[in-house]
Amino acid sequence: MTTGKDTVMEKGKRKIRRFSTFRIVEHWMIVMSSAVLLATGLCQRFWHVESAQWFILKLGGIDSVRLIHRYAGVFFTMEILVHVGVAFAGVAARKWDSSMFITRDDLIAAIHNIRYYFGLEDHAARCDRYDYMEKFEYWTILIGGFLMIGTGAVLWLPTTVTRILPGEIIPAAKVLHSNEAMLIFLINAIWHIYNSIFSPEVFPLDTSIFTGYISRERMLREHPLELARIEGVGPDDLLGDGLKEEESPADPAGTAQTAGGGERVPR
Amino acid sequence: MRWRMRQAAGPALLLFLLLAGFAAAGHAKEEGDLSIESLKCLQCHGKKGIVYKFQSDETVEAFVNPAKYKMSVHGFLSCSRCHTDFSTDHHASRNFRNKVQYRVKASAVCRGCHTPDQIKSKSVHADLLTKEKEGASPICTDCHDAHSVTPVAGGKIIRSETEYCMKCHQQKMTMTCRNGDKIALNVANSFSEGNAHDKLRCSDCHYGFSSEEHPKRNFRSRRDYTIASSESCRRCHFDKYTKTLDSVHYTILSQGNLTAPVCNDCHGSHQIPHISRGVKGRVLTTQRCRKCHEEVFGVYAKSVHGSALFNEQNTDVPICIDCHTAHDTENPLTLEYHERIPQMCGNCHANPAVVSKYGLSTEVLNAYLTDFHGVTLGLYKKQREQLYKPARPIAVCTDCHGTHNIASSISSDPAYVKANLVKRCQKCHKDANENFPNAWLSHYKPSLTKFPLIFLVSTAYKIFIPIMGLGLLLQIFLHIWRYAVNR
Repeated sequence: MTTGKDTVMEKGKRKIRRFSTFRIVEHWMIVMSSAVLLATGLCQRFWHVESAQWFILKLGGIDSVRLIHRYAGVFFTMEILVHVGVAFAGVAARKWDSSMFITRDDLIAAIHNIRYYFGLEDHAARCDRYDYMEKFEYWTILIGGFLMIGTGAVLWLPTTVTRILPGEIIPAAKVLHSNEAMLIFLINAIWHIYNSIFSPEVFPLDTSIFTGYISRERMLREHPLELARIEGVGPDDLLGDGLKEEESPADPAGTAQTAGGGERVPR
Repeated sequence: MRWRMRQAAGPALLLFLLLAGFAAAGHAKEEGDLSIESLKCLQCHGKKGIVYKFQSDETVEAFVNPAKYKMSVHGFLSCSRCHTDFSTDHHASRNFRNKVQYRVKASAVCRGCHTPDQIKSKSVHADLLTKEKEGASPICTDCHDAHSVTPVAGGKIIRSETEYCMKCHQQKMTMTCRNGDKIALNVANSFSEGNAHDKLRCSDCHYGFSSEEHPKRNFRSRRDYTIASSESCRRCHFDKYTKTLDSVHYTILSQGNLTAPVCNDCHGSHQIPHISRGVKGRVLTTQRCRKCHEEVFGVYAKSVHGSALFNEQNTDVPICIDCHTAHDTENPLTLEYHERIPQMCGNCHANPAVVSKYGLSTEVLNAYLTDFHGVTLGLYKKQREQLYKPARPIAVCTDCHGTHNIASSISSDPAYVKANLVKRCQKCHKDANENFPNAWLSHYKPSLTKFPLIFLVSTAYKIFIPIMGLGLLLQIFLHIWRYAVNR
């Protein structure tokens, strides 16, 4: 794919392709299955709350809720498997660089950003395709997702599991399933909702995952290293667009690695 | 006949004539009520001490209270009207084998004036007349005193209704039902001071009966009579009566099973004890249920609860009615009953005042209710009540601990308990093996010693989730702050 194809003009502003249709569909699937899982799961965890009981009865009783939860779980499992399968295939075929893996630079960027927030740095960390905050969220949800799938299966088939494992594994799985769900719920409710809706950078809504496009202005602010690569220039060439002259990009090594990456597949 | 005079007649006669003379002056009218003959007889028989002895060595006192006799309905009659063999100048000598023979003979005299039709007009006599046809001899003086007979409607000499009724009902008599059952009408032995109803009058329960009325009743069987008489209780105990209408006992009764218990089967009829909450009362209650539920009683008596009641006189342990209730006894095989079992057990097992002294944890109820089965049970209950949707039975206390045969959880062999538990699990979880019951934490809270895996996972999240949440919030706060400062 070429840079030109990935870029459109809308109302006089340049927009850059960030997500392919596959990722848009994938996001929608995860949104829907997670919403169903959270709704039917939280009401089971907080069964003693009046409104949770009201919701359970509205869905036709606890048996219906459990059934919906389990089938939504199956749906979620398939999405995760497809996602991982596609990622493996993509990376293994060397067509993609492993842009989602956490590197030492992410730690440096995080520390840089904290320092920036406290006024110790005069600009935010310069990130590549995915910043450390996005990576954190992605991995907590992916690892959490596997934990949820594993423990969910144990809870669904307790008699099968106890044929090979001790009985204590069932209540342990329940504790883990329920706590991990709370963790994922909190990360989504606090972090993801803030970053994609309430953050002043994107308010009222970061539409990139729905439209597939992101403005060049935001790319420059949030993913300057990737923008430079897309536009086939060195990060320093983007200085005129807003990067501070006296500061070098946060990731000179990454720049060298991905410079001129015209063969990238959008993800 | 051998009349024996124990006292000299002469001085008494003189005294009597003297008194009679005084009385004649002041109370001419009253004295006029007694005939000359009667006065003459009373010269001797108006004093105590004359005793007649039968061949059987039984005795009868030949004393007649002059005052009572004068006031009696028969006071105007001369003695010889009844004692036909006697007159002022003839004192017949007679010989009786025993007292009964004498009384039968005496009753025959009454019938000289009181015709069968007159006697029959009072339904209270119906049974006697029937018996007479069968060859028995009714004795009038059993109920109507010999010399102090008052007008029946007046009842002047009877102080209370109970006394009036007991005049007859202390005698041995029976009522015959249409199927031939005999019902004893003698209540003397079963009625005593100190029973719960000893302040009541007979007609408070036997309504329709009074000193004026004695309706003739006709029952198909003895059981019918018992059931019908239990209806009396509701006039006062309406709350309890209403409850019984919801009971399984009433249900099977209304389906035609007449052996189902009614009030008086458990509480008795004339000898109703006060309700006692002590050991004696509680043991008595179990005995009442035992009358029909012998088999269950046997199992209960051997259980940890039953043996504590019977062997240790322990009042903490539940008796039948603590779980099944006394009046609105529900069918214990229904789902509704099953759903209430944790609460029933919890009444004691979640109450520190009851179970703490036995070293039992009061957390058991909560441990169950917050676990998978307890939560499901609670939601099923709501679903059934609000959505009218049937629910499946969920394992409750009795499914693992047993019902009437509950054994002590402290002294039971763990291997035996576990073996039983697997069987119970398999009722719902068909392919469960011996590992499966360990999924249930036996009411324990996970700790480092008990179920450490669960404890560690839970603790890790308890630490991790707040740190993560606070960290994210802090990052958001810093981001907003920086954004605002930069603007």
